[in-house]
Amino acid sequence: MVTVELYGLPRLRAGAERCELPAGPLHALLGALAGALPGLVPDILRDGRLTEHALIAIDGHDLIVEPDTAIADGAVLVLISAQAGG
Amino acid sequence: MRGNFGQILLVDLHGDRVHVERAALPESVYSDYIGGVGLGAYLLWHYAPKHVHPLAPEAPLIYSFSPLLGSPLTTTAKFALLCKSPLTGRICDGLSSSRFALAARRLGVDAVVIRGALARLSHLHLDEDPARCRVTPCPELAGWSAAAVAELFQRTGVGRHVSAIGPAGEALVRYATVSNDGRHAGRGGAGAVLGAKRVKAITVRGVAVPGAADPAALQLRARELALRSQGVTTDKYRRLGTASNLETFDRLQILPVRNFQGVSLGKAAARRLAPEGLAAAAAHTRESCAGCTIGCDHRYGGTRMEYETQFALGPLCGVEDPARLLAAAAACDELGLDTISAGGTLAFAMECAEKGLVDWPLRFGDELAPWLARIARREGPGDSLAEGTRRLAAAIGQGSAAFACHVKGLELPGYEPRAMQTMALGLCVASRGADHNRSSAYQADLRPGVDRWHADPARAPALVIETEDLAALLDSLILCKFLRGAVPEPWREGAELLTMVTGVAHDADALHRAVARIAELRHRFNLREGWTIAEDRLPDRFYDEPLADGAALERGGLAAQVAAYHAARGRGADGAGPPIHEPGLTGP
Repeated sequence: MVTVELYGLPRLRAGAERCELPAGPLHALLGALAGALPGLVPDILRDGRLTEHALIAIDGHDLIVEPDTAIADGAVLVLISAQAGG
Repeated sequence: MRGNFGQILLVDLHGDRVHVERAALPESVYSDYIGGVGLGAYLLWHYAPKHVHPLAPEAPLIYSFSPLLGSPLTTTAKFALLCKSPLTGRICDGLSSSRFALAARRLGVDAVVIRGALARLSHLHLDEDPARCRVTPCPELAGWSAAAVAELFQRTGVGRHVSAIGPAGEALVRYATVSNDGRHAGRGGAGAVLGAKRVKAITVRGVAVPGAADPAALQLRARELALRSQGVTTDKYRRLGTASNLETFDRLQILPVRNFQGVSLGKAAARRLAPEGLAAAAAHTRESCAGCTIGCDHRYGGTRMEYETQFALGPLCGVEDPARLLAAAAACDELGLDTISAGGTLAFAMECAEKGLVDWPLRFGDELAPWLARIARREGPGDSLAEGTRRLAAAIGQGSAAFACHVKGLELPGYEPRAMQTMALGLCVASRGADHNRSSAYQADLRPGVDRWHADPARAPALVIETEDLAALLDSLILCKFLRGAVPEPWREGAELLTMVTGVAHDADALHRAVARIAELRHRFNLREGWTIAEDRLPDRFYDEPLADGAALERGGLAAQVAAYHAARGRGADGAGPPIHEPGLTGP
């Protein structure tokens, strides 16, 4: 399984802090995430893709967008707001 | 030209008297420098004598307005405040919001340049009618907070909108703020400049209206922009505030902790200081600046909390208790202290104390409020702390400069440069010192496909310039940066707004040229005041002390990027470059 942790606006919209999903390519994971947490649609997730309002990082490290990126079992995805300004 | 008055107010203070006169500005100044920080930089260049001491009477403090101020456009009720920084010795251009900006605009001028100094702590009243401008000594207000002065003036009918300093400004703390309507022009110590002039508070009265060339179009655009400002691009600011950054940055391991010795508080502690944790500790309310449809001002128990305040007075100082954080933030508001520099200086002092370099009873995690009070009144060690990190490190010596976290004397904002290396370049080259508002290069680091641990030397300078220029555009128009997501084409739309207001045709290309001129003038000011490229660097800690994952800056690589940045700005690799022969860039 893959763990998705939610922060900032995505957490607020989803009403959840985390979600467990089956491993697979990013596009499949995002599709499953939209089904599990419908509050993320359409502003955070739309048509199975991340919108410009959010970012996703593997284990809080590299930001990814490529839909075919393979997300391995045991990985942690961190879903955050795109706006970082303070 | 509508939208501008074509003149400025020159205010000269001496003894217990004020002399005011109006001076016309050439129309070209408005197309060349727009307004806000751009116009202010132009005026600072012309009215600050070369090598003036920032706290000398002849050093000017400039309130600079913008063509959009007073229009129905959301987030435009702001002004810029410029001076030579007593903290950095370089250009200082802060922004502040709210009703004072709207009231000051009605003086019928585009900027107010204050020079000279009074004999005693006084209230300065500026009026559209020069005969009504006056100075009223007010020694009884010494030590009062800006908010208390404003409340007194409002209650007694002295003035509705007040720009004032707190005790820190009176004590010439080098990072004292100027406050109005509960907001602050924070960074760089403009409050000390006003304090050196012995001006406790300024009130304004006037009825002038700059007008607009096409009010109907402007009204329509204002409604449409207000709707856009309510969309998802500002949702984070409206519903959570920037304080939601802390938990995210902790997870990304870019949160500066204990004077940049760490990058994470850990999940539980980060949650305690996040909006959810703060709301559990104190009642949450939300406020807006005047004329703003976003409303990013989140308060807990009545105390405003933004990310930079939260980071600087929390993790940076090892503070993990929400109540202790809120008390420190409230103290800075009350005393008139810049929260980033106050937290940065205290964090540096804490590390010095823990290393045994000073014998002050100060440790990471301690309660900050009593120390902030000592700083604001320069009591005991507070006198040294009031000088800021750079001077404090010079006084302490013993190798402490290696972990004195500043650039050009300005303490770092809340982004870990070793893990955000485009931001590291932005911090190095920003004209007012380590700064996230004039160089928001963190945006470049948080883009998919960007390796934030190794800045691309071919792209980083251009990315930094892109974010600097956008900030300069927004700060000159003036539009709030939190609106930027709702303005997808800021250069085109900025030109349209200026055209609607002034009636003079603007286009995106002309705005790009104006912003390049503003960037160059800020740099030229610094160069004139003694800047060299040696100042464009981060302290040794960021090169010599890798993070747990091995990330560190590399001296040669970053220095090469700094040189490339200046070259991309059209200067020599040493940042000096050939003299500019452009109109408006001649010395006073």
